[in-house]
Amino acid sequence: MDSWQALLVFVVLAPGVVFGVLALLWLAGYVPAERIISRITGVTFSASMMALAAIVWRLALPGAPAVAVTFGNWFTVQDYHFPLVLLADRLSLPFLGMTVVLSGLIGQFSATYLHRERGFLRFFLLLHLFAFGSLLAFSAGSFDLLVAGWEIVGITSVLLIAFFQQRTPPVENGLRVFAVYRACDIGLLVGVFVMHHWAGTASFDHGLSVLTGAQSTIVCLLLLLAAAGKAAQVPFSGWLPRAMEGPTPSSAIFYGAISIHAGAYLLLRVQPMLAHSVLASTLVVAIGLATAIHGTMVGRATADAKTSLAYASLTQVGVVFVEIGMGWKAVAVAHILGHATVRTLQFLRAPSMLHDYHQMHSAIGGTLSPTGQHFEDLFSESVRLWLYRWSLDRGHLDTILDRWVIHPLIQLSRLFAKLDNLGIDRQQEPREEAPVSIHTAASPGNIG
Amino acid sequence: MTGLPWILTTVAVGIPWLAGMLTAVARRHARVIGFVAALVSVVASAFLLQAVPARESLNEALMLLFSCLTLGATLVIPQRDCNAATIGGILFLLGSTLLAYSTNDLRILLAAWVLSTVPFFAKHWFSARSWRPRLGLLLSSIALALAIALIAAQGHAMSIARLRGRSPGGIAVFGLLVVAVMFRKGILPAHAWVADAAESGAPIPTALLLNGHFGAMLVAKLIMPLFPYTSRDLFPVLSYLALATALYVAIRAITENSPRRLLAFIALSQSASILAGLESRTAEGITGALVHWFVVTTSTMGLFGILRLLEVRFGENLTASRHLGLGEHAPRLAVFFIVFGLALVGLPGTLSFCSQDLLIYGTLASHPQTGLLLPIATAINAVSIFRLFSRLFLGKRRTGFTVMADALPRERWILTAGVLFVVLGGLFPSAIVALRSAEAKAVEHAIYSPDGARSGV
Repeated sequence: MDSWQALLVFVVLAPGVVFGVLALLWLAGYVPAERIISRITGVTFSASMMALAAIVWRLALPGAPAVAVTFGNWFTVQDYHFPLVLLADRLSLPFLGMTVVLSGLIGQFSATYLHRERGFLRFFLLLHLFAFGSLLAFSAGSFDLLVAGWEIVGITSVLLIAFFQQRTPPVENGLRVFAVYRACDIGLLVGVFVMHHWAGTASFDHGLSVLTGAQSTIVCLLLLLAAAGKAAQVPFSGWLPRAMEGPTPSSAIFYGAISIHAGAYLLLRVQPMLAHSVLASTLVVAIGLATAIHGTMVGRATADAKTSLAYASLTQVGVVFVEIGMGWKAVAVAHILGHATVRTLQFLRAPSMLHDYHQMHSAIGGTLSPTGQHFEDLFSESVRLWLYRWSLDRGHLDTILDRWVIHPLIQLSRLFAKLDNLGIDRQQEPREEAPVSIHTAASPGNIG
Repeated sequence: MTGLPWILTTVAVGIPWLAGMLTAVARRHARVIGFVAALVSVVASAFLLQAVPARESLNEALMLLFSCLTLGATLVIPQRDCNAATIGGILFLLGSTLLAYSTNDLRILLAAWVLSTVPFFAKHWFSARSWRPRLGLLLSSIALALAIALIAAQGHAMSIARLRGRSPGGIAVFGLLVVAVMFRKGILPAHAWVADAAESGAPIPTALLLNGHFGAMLVAKLIMPLFPYTSRDLFPVLSYLALATALYVAIRAITENSPRRLLAFIALSQSASILAGLESRTAEGITGALVHWFVVTTSTMGLFGILRLLEVRFGENLTASRHLGLGEHAPRLAVFFIVFGLALVGLPGTLSFCSQDLLIYGTLASHPQTGLLLPIATAINAVSIFRLFSRLFLGKRRTGFTVMADALPRERWILTAGVLFVVLGGLFPSAIVALRSAEAKAVEHAIYSPDGARSGV
């Protein structure tokens, strides 16, 4: 292993090791002071940034090959291999950089923002685990390893949504988000399986090039399901406002920057296959367009800062999907980097948004002009009213999901319960309730 | 079996039985006696595992696993339950289960099968209030007894090794063995007793009974080696039923609010996939099933143990119909619960990520249509386990508890050992997967080359 490879391994593993050490210390009964936790976080991400800067410098040289670290196979059974390959190429590097820089910034911001909060250690544990999962997903050299990072990002996302665990809405919304993630991840699992089945491997190097047109389309459609779920694209957008229940710094890094763009990264990885499949690329464009329109309309009808920022984020990710579907890979990467940076800043400023507005109004000596009025003028009063109702209910997406998926599943479960209990008198049967709220009244985002 | 392996097997099986009798007589120091007896079984099983080649080590590995589970149970069982009857029953179950794993004789297998169910019929031991567990266990024993009686009636030898590849008793015996598997394992439509047993019986001993996985053991040890041709043709039916069970109970769990029943459904759903993997007839699927066997047993034991600890601390009327907020009182138990829970459903970084990966690959490769049920069932189970976690541990902090609520050092260390097994196994899975892969090849070989299969289990 040369020094560049060692640096890449350090960048990926450092947050994971910090998470492991802090978790074991906590299990043993030792809770580090806030200052120690924030310093460890600062040192970890600063060192990672420097290591990553060195790799960037190396890859900036003309003709420099990607930095790849091969650890062999994680496990092998007959012809089935799980390759353990880390890869820093020109696609993954911007995402690695974004993760390291923004995780470090969020760590520093949160040290003050969550000062004396009861879940201070829990937040930092999850931040490190999230950074590890993201770095693993972005540096994975195969879809197998990408799945591992992808799932870690999902579970940390859900645990941070339920961060304020004493209140019921964050906990229930976390469960809802988890359900959507798991449902969509079936696409990723089955997609990776069919790649193994047809190509004999799921590595980026060899797996993508050997699939035929029809096979590529099937793989792309399966991965698109996973990407759309993670990126909250239509029809899975309903979970995004629910995810705003988490602390603002986690909302910033997850739904303004990294997690929300993980789906786009997955599609960028399969871009060579996507380019050969008209059906899949058309669907990517269609989903992106629908999400962009949905996001911008619903965002206009939201009443709280974080949710409107989330929908603004959704709109941009929809546009990124369109760019990927059109084959504009470089544009999409640049768009993601710019968007992630700006949106993180906006999320972090969200708690003091009113203060910022007041300052701006004082500075300009009046109020800011409302934007977007010309769109409203295009429609008649009745259409505007209908669109407003439609936007207020977030495109009825949650209602549709509840009515056509969750409610039938609950009914089926109750039917099975009746079948199981035929002729049985179960005493003290607890009243069965819907596990996930059927009603769509997602609670307003938590500004704090 | 002669020489050192025979001595080690006798020690592993005999000491728990002797210790069980000792607890019944002495009625004191039950936990200490139970711990020492289980430890002796662990050590004997470990030496036994060392003594056999990797390819032939499935039974010995299962003996070691079950001994470790029982050792953990003797430590994690709360003081309220830790009496001579409970520890004696657990040790009796340990001895019977190890006997079933280790024997090469059909009559002894039947005896061990029946003996392992005895504590669940006796009222002062672990008998459930509901009649369905007793009926399920009884029917499985009757089916196995009839199958072995039919084999004996046709003049066949009683040695499993000598019956390999000979399809003794033909389709009738095969059918009876499948029925025994279905009732013992809780395969649809004989699944309801599992949740009843968990709800109205003693949770930790019931978890031990379920985690003996006698149904899967019968498949790997008897059905596949003895009936290779019939297995190839008819066994997919059992596989489809197992996949249907995995999905059925996963959906059933969605609206279940009794934590014990909910856990039983999830455990049943995940363990049903072991059968599907064994039947997949692919090296990946069988290896995945064997690795998953280890994950499911460890995780479900951990989950049932934690649930019992919560019941002892906060009352037995726990429910998943509302948020109980117990995490504030027992943060470490909460962390252990979520790690074991997610380890059961394929969390990356745990051993089940590898086993699920292989299982999904194997079942999809052998049954592309029905195999899809497995990832769907796993996804639903993941949501159910997270729901149970959030309802038990999250929510508004309850007041009025004056007891020491979080894990005691004794409980903490044994639960940490379980977590370390699933996590370290997940981070460095190659050794475990390679061992199970070697055993999987033996199982696969038994189906495709029955005449050349090894003799002697």
